[in-house]
Amino acid sequence: MPCERKPMRYGHSEGHTDVTFDDAGKFIVTCGSDGDVRIWESLDDDDPRSINVGEKAYSLALKKRKLVTAGSNNTVQIHTFPEGDPDGILTRFTTHATHVAFNHSGSRVAAGSSDFMVKVVEVADSSQQKTLRGHDAPVLSVTFDPKDEFLASASCDGSVVIWKIDEQTKVTSWPVLQKSNDVSTAKSLCRLGWQPKTAKLLAVPVGLKVHLYERDSWEHVSTLSDDMMTQPINVVAWSPCGQLLAAGSVGGFLTVWNAESKLCVERQKHEKGYTVCGLAWHPSGRQLAYTDTQGSLGLLDDLPTASSATKTPKVAANDYDDLFDEDDDRAMDEGLSDTHSPAKRPVAGGDDDDDDDLMPATGRVKNRSSFLDDENSLDTVSLALGQGKYGDDDDAGSTVAPPTGPSLPLRPAYEGPLPTLPQKPFQPGSTPAHLTHRFMTWNSVGVVRGYNDDQDNAVDVEFHDTAVHHAMHLTNALGHTLADLSQEAVLLACPATDELASKLQCLHFSSWDANKEWIVDLPAGEDVRALVLGQGWAAAATSARTLRLFTVGGVQKEIFSLPGHVVSMAAHGEQLLVVYHRGTGFDGDQALGVQLLQLGRRKRQVIHGEPLPLSCKAHLAWLGFTAEGTPCYVDSEGVVRMLNRSLGNTWTPVCNTRETCKGKSDHFWVVAVHENPQQLRCIPCKGSRYPPTLPRPAVAILPFKLPLCQTTTEKGQMEEQYWRSTLLQNHYSFLSSSGYEIDDEGQNQNQKEQQELLMKMFALSCKLEREFRCMELAELMTQSVVTLAVRYASRSRRMNLAQRLNELAMEKANQLQEEQEQEEEEVQEEEHHTPRSRRPAPLGGPSGKQSKGPVLKPLAPKPKTKVSLIQRPWTGFQLWLEENRKSILADSPDLQETDVIKAAMGSFRSLSAEDRLVRGSDWDEIAGDRTSNLSVTRELAKPTELPPPFHPYIPLHRLLLIWGFIDK
Amino acid sequence: MDPTEVEFLAEKEIVKIIPNFSLDKIYLIGGDLGPFNPGLPVQVPVWLALNLKQRQKCRILPPQWMDVDKLEEVREMERKEDSFTPPPSPYYMELTKLLLNHASDNIPKADEIRTLVKDIWDTRIAKLRLSADSFISQQEAHAKLDNLTLMEINTTRSFLLGSLNCMFKLRSNMQPGTSTGKGPDY
Repeated sequence: MPCERKPMRYGHSEGHTDVTFDDAGKFIVTCGSDGDVRIWESLDDDDPRSINVGEKAYSLALKKRKLVTAGSNNTVQIHTFPEGDPDGILTRFTTHATHVAFNHSGSRVAAGSSDFMVKVVEVADSSQQKTLRGHDAPVLSVTFDPKDEFLASASCDGSVVIWKIDEQTKVTSWPVLQKSNDVSTAKSLCRLGWQPKTAKLLAVPVGLKVHLYERDSWEHVSTLSDDMMTQPINVVAWSPCGQLLAAGSVGGFLTVWNAESKLCVERQKHEKGYTVCGLAWHPSGRQLAYTDTQGSLGLLDDLPTASSATKTPKVAANDYDDLFDEDDDRAMDEGLSDTHSPAKRPVAGGDDDDDDDLMPATGRVKNRSSFLDDENSLDTVSLALGQGKYGDDDDAGSTVAPPTGPSLPLRPAYEGPLPTLPQKPFQPGSTPAHLTHRFMTWNSVGVVRGYNDDQDNAVDVEFHDTAVHHAMHLTNALGHTLADLSQEAVLLACPATDELASKLQCLHFSSWDANKEWIVDLPAGEDVRALVLGQGWAAAATSARTLRLFTVGGVQKEIFSLPGHVVSMAAHGEQLLVVYHRGTGFDGDQALGVQLLQLGRRKRQVIHGEPLPLSCKAHLAWLGFTAEGTPCYVDSEGVVRMLNRSLGNTWTPVCNTRETCKGKSDHFWVVAVHENPQQLRCIPCKGSRYPPTLPRPAVAILPFKLPLCQTTTEKGQMEEQYWRSTLLQNHYSFLSSSGYEIDDEGQNQNQKEQQELLMKMFALSCKLEREFRCMELAELMTQSVVTLAVRYASRSRRMNLAQRLNELAMEKANQLQEEQEQEEEEVQEEEHHTPRSRRPAPLGGPSGKQSKGPVLKPLAPKPKTKVSLIQRPWTGFQLWLEENRKSILADSPDLQETDVIKAAMGSFRSLSAEDRLVRGSDWDEIAGDRTSNLSVTRELAKPTELPPPFHPYIPLHRLLLIWGFIDK
Repeated sequence: MDPTEVEFLAEKEIVKIIPNFSLDKIYLIGGDLGPFNPGLPVQVPVWLALNLKQRQKCRILPPQWMDVDKLEEVREMERKEDSFTPPPSPYYMELTKLLLNHASDNIPKADEIRTLVKDIWDTRIAKLRLSADSFISQQEAHAKLDNLTLMEINTTRSFLLGSLNCMFKLRSNMQPGTSTGKGPDY
């Protein structure tokens, strides 16, 4: 039959306590650090009698109507019991006594003290004292031999000593304890217990176990242990019958062993896990009172008797319903602490008959098997899980209740990956909303700060460039928490309150009329979660998973649904980037999706909700566009990723800010990214993820660095430089394709730099004799640089390489030509059919206020120019070659491209003058026709003229050079 | 040399500012400055920083040494050592004065910094007087002092030279024709 754990009740103020029963078992007597001794008629006694014995009471002993207490006033006092009248002072120490104990008959009292001494005093005549000297540290506890011959004491010096009382000598000593300086710092109180009646065994709590020493031989005969015991045992107490030993531990575990069979017969856990520091058996042996260091008193009732315990040690689970209740609460964090094989855990709520299988419900069954395997334990087990009734308790066996505790995960059998909490929505460049002074946003335009302290609830808007607008100070009556800032407006939003709907407020300061502000109420139940300002428009994503578009003047525009809850949004010009929760992430990862929309006149979705790549277990920390309009984001691991439009809209990591951090907890708080010049503008934060508003943080600049391999070597360095340059050049083509003016000079510069890098790498590979690699590099070069490479190769006497490069050069030249032809055709078609369909529409930018600063990169519309049509005209020779190529090839099929041209050139020249006049002019005329289709008038090439260089892109002298090599 | 001249030289020191305007690189005789991007720190000479600050075109970031902790350390060092310790900056006095007078709102704990720098200055000047005193009383012909700043040399120069001249005159009057050997009685 399981014992009953009565609920704890308040006994004393917080601190060390001790407990005992009176001889008859009528009262529970406790003492505590409040200096009171309380006499409880039962645990439910609401009005216990208090006796004040001093400032603090460390220990008490009660026998024969005498109450002996060890107090803080360095004395051991006697009071009468139960009256509580002072009955004199038994003995004094130089410091306070730590433990007092009666002998069996109650004629003597032993007291241990912090002054290293143990005294044995006759109760009747306190002048008869025996002092036991020999400990080198405060005495932890004392206990009498029931036969009154010996006395055992434990001390902070780590020893347990057996004294012969009469001779005041040490009989033996075991250095088994952990040493400490003082009782208060000792790991364990080490209350000793001498077996009553037979007086055969002395129980000594040593760490997690209880050592049993045999009287007279003083040998360590056995050890009692329990696998559930995870912290040192504080106290032990023998049952009055002398067969059961109870122990209470630091972690609040209570265990009862049968000393003979060494089996654990009862096991309980303190309801709050506080340290048990007092333990006493009821004289009947059916109750166990205990107290903890928090001053509470508890009682275990209906304990198994020694006889029944020896018969059928039996397992039941009275706590199982509690256990599984707890499981439901912890289902979320399961697996965090669980290191045991969860597969062995059965599913909760199985049927009652299933005894054997249900037994290993703790996941530690292997450890416990030592006692469970014994006798008939397993086959009589019956569990009623989750139903609150105990199975099979007729034969009143002892119980083993598996203790509950945080170290012991008892969970249902789910063992898969755990879902991650979805990250909260945020504005890029904002600090957490709970701060009283925070950045609501910091972007390339300016800073919005929010103050929410006792005096003031306000919003400060400050512009980096005071030319945009002067700083503003707004009172934040609505309680805005979200903000965004652009060259045209400030957008603010507040969540809904009980009375007010969620509002979107826009301060359109660039408006030319007098009304510079508008407010929109969202429908009830819809909260703004993220907002963003583009050029001439604003967007707000709401808790209803909708995205609402507005013009900057306040006209409602499109509305559409998002596939998940929004995480963050960013805008640039007409682009809108939305990141949302795609689903539930697992094991610390977030599952985010990203959409990129083009909103201008030609609306389309560029990225259709693809997963957003993040570092392992990271969340999104910043989202935005580079100043040039390339989407970009930073995750919590500090990795900056940028959209690579030339590689099918993939994301390329361009920088890891954490690599630049000095300290482990330092971070960089990204505020802006620029592609030209390559700059990552961020605020270094020492020891935090975000900066404080005061003192004003200063922006630092980090360079980009693609995480290529071996960037310490020259090769790796150049490769990194090349690919970085290529990646960051993508914005030129994007800008020009979406109709913005681009910095041609910069682009050319960029390309030149790339080609130079390629040439350098080429030279390096040449030096390293890696000709194949040279070819690979040459593939990346433009045609004109390949010719340079040819020259370099031939100079360094690599004829094979030069030959191959030359072929490549030709191929590239042809390719170029073909491309150009195609382009021309396309242009022609366009000119004929839809002359202006693809002309970019001029963008309505705000007038005047835009500055040309490189930070802001205002998107200037491309000036309306006619598509330049100055194409290379077709020459007569080219047409002729086209016509006659087949015949030349038929004549000599093994000719290479260059040779074909050479041969063709020869035969074209050898045409008779007449032929040329007739046919040649024909050719030229036809060529002229073709070119004139391009609406460019051009004088026909005169037939007498030498044909122009056959290829428009290789200057003649270079060509000759090439030929020269081939001839060699 | 005038203190104003020393201050003029100090104005060539470089400080960081955060401009609130945007301007391309400017090409000056002393070197190129900029480009100026709003919100982005840029290094400029003190004279430009102060000029921009007065026109409310920038925020000045205090130099690294202009920090209470660092200055306290320097002060303790200066008090402990008998000789001159290296100053926080060769123009520490001038820069402190200039920046604190014109841009004290951009410098955290401006008052404490002012006190600290004044303490350091006083300690150093006291040392300088002490060494001048022993220099004269021992009638040395030359002395060498390390780690003095231009401003400190200038403060003591006119007085020291004047008094030396004066003493020389007195001495040559009192003991015409004899070499100095007896103890001075000034």
